[in-house]
Amino acid sequence: MGSRRDAVAAEIPRLRRYARALSGDNGEADDLIQDTLERALARLHQWRDGENPRKWLFSILHNLYVDSLRRKSRRPPHVGLESLGIEQSAPAADGASGRDLDRALQLLSSEQREVVLLVGLEGLSYAETAGVLDIPVGTVMSRLARGRDRLRTLMDYGGGNRNGRAPLRRVK
Amino acid sequence: MTPRRISEAELHALVDGELAPEERAELETLLQGSPAELALARDLADLNEALRARYSEEIDARLPEAAQRLLAQVPQRPSMRTVRYQAFAAAALIIALAAGTAGYIAGDMMGDHGRAPAFVANAIGAHRVYVPEVRHAVEVKAAEDHLVRWLTRRVGAPFVAPSLVDHGWKLMGGRLVPDGGRPAAQFMYEDASGRRLTLYIRKEMGLSNTAFRFAEREGFDAFYWIDHPLAYALAGRLKREELMALANLVYAQLEAVAPSRSQSSPPPAPPVPSKPGR
Repeated sequence: MGSRRDAVAAEIPRLRRYARALSGDNGEADDLIQDTLERALARLHQWRDGENPRKWLFSILHNLYVDSLRRKSRRPPHVGLESLGIEQSAPAADGASGRDLDRALQLLSSEQREVVLLVGLEGLSYAETAGVLDIPVGTVMSRLARGRDRLRTLMDYGGGNRNGRAPLRRVK
Repeated sequence: MTPRRISEAELHALVDGELAPEERAELETLLQGSPAELALARDLADLNEALRARYSEEIDARLPEAAQRLLAQVPQRPSMRTVRYQAFAAAALIIALAAGTAGYIAGDMMGDHGRAPAFVANAIGAHRVYVPEVRHAVEVKAAEDHLVRWLTRRVGAPFVAPSLVDHGWKLMGGRLVPDGGRPAAQFMYEDASGRRLTLYIRKEMGLSNTAFRFAEREGFDAFYWIDHPLAYALAGRLKREELMALANLVYAQLEAVAPSRSQSSPPPAPPVPSKPGR
């Protein structure tokens, strides 16, 4: 079990990165990570030998995230640190475009956001992403395409430095 | 000649590394003659890059040894109690992670920075005032069996005086401490070398529970948490890992009696990963 715990621990930075991008709120992300670790630690015995710990942990996180969205939809909005005037941690690279990206991601559907982040940020393969989310690979691909289209529009990709504002191209 | 059409799905697959080497080579050749598709492929690659640049600052965060040890303490067979214990371990792990990396956690998890709840400052203040006492360190000695009964009655919610004797800390006793005009309890512990540790408990009127947090004030450290209806702070001048390990033990004993537990414990969750019905 010790090596399993180590394997879980080794994934925390990635889980945290994903949770932060996914929730758009560091406090919420840390809650999500805590719940994920709690559930993972309680269920180390359910982790099948040879199963990729990353995939297993991201699955747990995904299930908890879906639960939290469901709960949130039934509850009044929570008061985040930001609304209390407490600064969140500084953005990574340049503030403006970083925040734009945060906002744009939150404008995607949660289903699109998960796929865009698992593939684009976490570098999971389409098959791994399908496994984590428990959906067919084809669904991963269509959510990815729609999510990225939306992000490109929101982020104004194809505008500015390229030739005019590129409408979303659907090349068949 | 007209090159074959390139599908958008292929471009996604290309930037996501989903293509076999020969497919990739073929597509890259095709793209040479398809500026629009090439531009889209670049956009998609840029998007992935932007995501990584934006969110990857903490990917290098290494798990500190303290957190590893803590993780190692997690009991093997979860019971209702250990589930809570694990919640604690998970919370402490996050704090240890935060403490071990360069301060990307917002708020008071990195240390209080003046933002810890007022009761924590009061707990540390009470620690500073009473710990140096030689003859009057406690008001009621541990040997007197009304100690806990008295303090719980005054504070207004049930708790125990956790036993740390197996870990080298003897309960000396406790006292009543004023906290903003309301009663709070302080238990004091001492180890063989004369170091002292205090546990501060008061009724919490606020609504929200907090995860396990660390605060520091004038050289004194405290781990604190709120588990409605009580707020707790364990203060001392110990190595942080040592204090954390003790807080771990304290938490485990307190959670066994705290009144909120039966309602707040999470219901048994479905197996992981759960398979929604199709």
